[in-house]
Amino acid sequence: MLEKILILLCLSSALAEQPCKPDASDGYKVRLSIKTALGDEAYVWNENEMFLFRATLAFAMRSHLNGQEFDVSNIIVCDETPRVTFWFVVTSPLNTSGLVDKGVVEEAIRMSRNRINSAFLLTDKTLEFIGITPTLTAPVNPDTPPWLIVFGVVMGAVGAGIIVVLVSPLVLKKRKKNEETDEDEEETGVKAVENGSTREGVYNMSFSDDERLTQM
Amino acid sequence: MDKGARPNWDNPMQFVLACVSYAVGLGNVWRFPYLCQLHGGGGFLIPYLIMLFLEGVPLFYLELAIGQKMSLGSIGAWTAISPYLGGVGLASVVTSLYLCLYYNIINAWSFWYLFHSFQSVLPWADCPINSNRTGPIEECERATPTQYFFYRETLDISSSIEVNGGIHTGQALCLVLAWLITYLFIVRGVKSTGKVVYFTATFPYVVLFIYLIRGMTLHGAINGVKYMFTPKMEQLANPTTWINAATQIFFSLGLGFGSLIAFASYNQYNNNFERQAIIVSLINSGTSIFASIVTFAIYGFKATVNYENCLERTRLLLLNAFSLAEDSITMDTVFDWIEKLNTTYPQQFAEIADKLENCDLESELDTAVEGTGLAFIVYSEAIMNMPLSQLWSVLYFIMLLLLGMGSMLGNVTAIVTPLRDFKITSRMSNELLNGLVCLFCLLLGLGFTTPSGNYWFTMFNDYGATFSLLFIVLIEVITVSYIYGIKRFEKDIEDMLGHRPNWYWKIMWSVTSPVLLIALFIFYIINYIKGGTPTYQAWNKELPCMPMPSHCLHHVS
Repeated sequence: MLEKILILLCLSSALAEQPCKPDASDGYKVRLSIKTALGDEAYVWNENEMFLFRATLAFAMRSHLNGQEFDVSNIIVCDETPRVTFWFVVTSPLNTSGLVDKGVVEEAIRMSRNRINSAFLLTDKTLEFIGITPTLTAPVNPDTPPWLIVFGVVMGAVGAGIIVVLVSPLVLKKRKKNEETDEDEEETGVKAVENGSTREGVYNMSFSDDERLTQM
Repeated sequence: MDKGARPNWDNPMQFVLACVSYAVGLGNVWRFPYLCQLHGGGGFLIPYLIMLFLEGVPLFYLELAIGQKMSLGSIGAWTAISPYLGGVGLASVVTSLYLCLYYNIINAWSFWYLFHSFQSVLPWADCPINSNRTGPIEECERATPTQYFFYRETLDISSSIEVNGGIHTGQALCLVLAWLITYLFIVRGVKSTGKVVYFTATFPYVVLFIYLIRGMTLHGAINGVKYMFTPKMEQLANPTTWINAATQIFFSLGLGFGSLIAFASYNQYNNNFERQAIIVSLINSGTSIFASIVTFAIYGFKATVNYENCLERTRLLLLNAFSLAEDSITMDTVFDWIEKLNTTYPQQFAEIADKLENCDLESELDTAVEGTGLAFIVYSEAIMNMPLSQLWSVLYFIMLLLLGMGSMLGNVTAIVTPLRDFKITSRMSNELLNGLVCLFCLLLGLGFTTPSGNYWFTMFNDYGATFSLLFIVLIEVITVSYIYGIKRFEKDIEDMLGHRPNWYWKIMWSVTSPVLLIALFIFYIINYIKGGTPTYQAWNKELPCMPMPSHCLHHVS
């Protein structure tokens, strides 16, 4: 009887010390793809990096839940693989045996996602929290779509071209007409002067009435 | 009309360039490479070149001779040959009218893509995000971003030809621009066209050359070119190969529309069109082959990129499922690892077996595409993967525009030239007549900018002109050979050129070309009878699709 109680106590204490396990109800799986993201400049994943992760996550929890002081010890990690995936759970600082709710953890991570990513020089795609979809950046909507601007430029050029092509023969015709009328005016002006000068005339003697010489 | 004097080309070079600009069009870029791939790569060149000399060059020569001799548009020229044959000319004009209606829509699409290339990220590179900001739009995710951009954002396509909607304003604006540019190019008739063709005929070659260099230096381009040039000689035994070669030569040269007659009618009487006919036909075929080398280099690149992406996805799948270290599997060792993991962990492997894709380079290369699918989907996909993609995109769509505009010049000239020969319209000024024709085609063409517009376009493209052209050219060649008489025709040519056409031309005109055309004609009739009602492929936004270009469509009759 006593042995059974002892075994039960040992088991329960053992279980209590292991809140983190794969497929934990309040835990998340994290997957890092460091070599994909950084290639030759990839850092090796070791204990120190894991410490940084736990610290960053504690920071995220602190930022989200303003009053509570989360510490590195509140983030429990397990089931690490060579792929660099692991599970983590978050214990509450007020009650070390109680886990923080999944939803709260998700919100905290969403809020500080950028900070967490940049701590590891990774992106949403290479630092994945399985189950937390990243919020995508809103599309940039400029006031005038850029294609309309280029269209306007080309349309303006073509319109100007057509107007030039249609109007230029008319302009040429007008210019020709003006030149012709100018020439006419010059000619008539000269004639007028000539006429003016012939008003005086030269007296033609052969048609004068010479009574002294011929009398019929 | 200028009191009796017909306008002429400023020099013979303008005429040659106009013919080149007209004949070298979008078909050289998007139909010939497809046929090449379909009919055994390098081997297809054999029937193609044979058909070029049996029907292409002789018929081209024939049309130029008629136009230059009669110095009239197609209606007037055929009426002069025999008063009962004015209908042939009229048929040409009507066919050209159909072509004008729908061809400029392609230019409108090219403009749309060109204007959208001036962005930091090409809009067809990524799927737009849905309103919840949780992921890409569903329709886009099921298809590919390039297909989504073409079918949804460019065309706003409906699900069938009966379902209609309003005009797509962006498309309509681009169509108006296309028609304004066409008007600007032809407004003064031959005088303005003659200057424009210096550019529209030569610049596409510059771009093709640049693309050749770029294409050959792309990763994986060699795969595509090798694939194209390995001839599959057994295809030569297939009669469809020969029929497709004959059809391609026929339509590529633009015979039967009346454009060649119209262009030639502005020639000096003694212009040496014999040499020009041979030159233009050879340039046209040469361009087709040149363009297909470029296209296959691009295919090779695209296939290689897709294949490597597929390998990458498989690699990630394996890494994540079996939690192996990142550098344990590389792209080269993916297949070895698949076998290893299958044998060591069969149960776990079975779980991911359905997510595993079959990555095969051959099958990626096998996807033969033609037409607008090639030009706007496959090419855009390839371009977005190139470095400096905006620059390549702009260059490519400018080339498409020039090819399309060059052909439009011929099409509109084919309508306007015969109309000018009538007394009523000859009193109208050049500008007014051209403007009216362009306006008419623009207003009717707006119908192609509606959601079901692409289906109407397909109907016109596939069924509108093909059959009638065969008939028109058949009548033309029989008329000249037998009704007008080869002897009279010979004398006319001697009058113009100074020497008679030799036996090659005479045999082609009187025997070979008519026989070939009758064979093609019968083949088409049989096809129509067997095929039943005309069909088109429709875009269905609900059905999940396979990741292959232009396969997100299902047949609707």
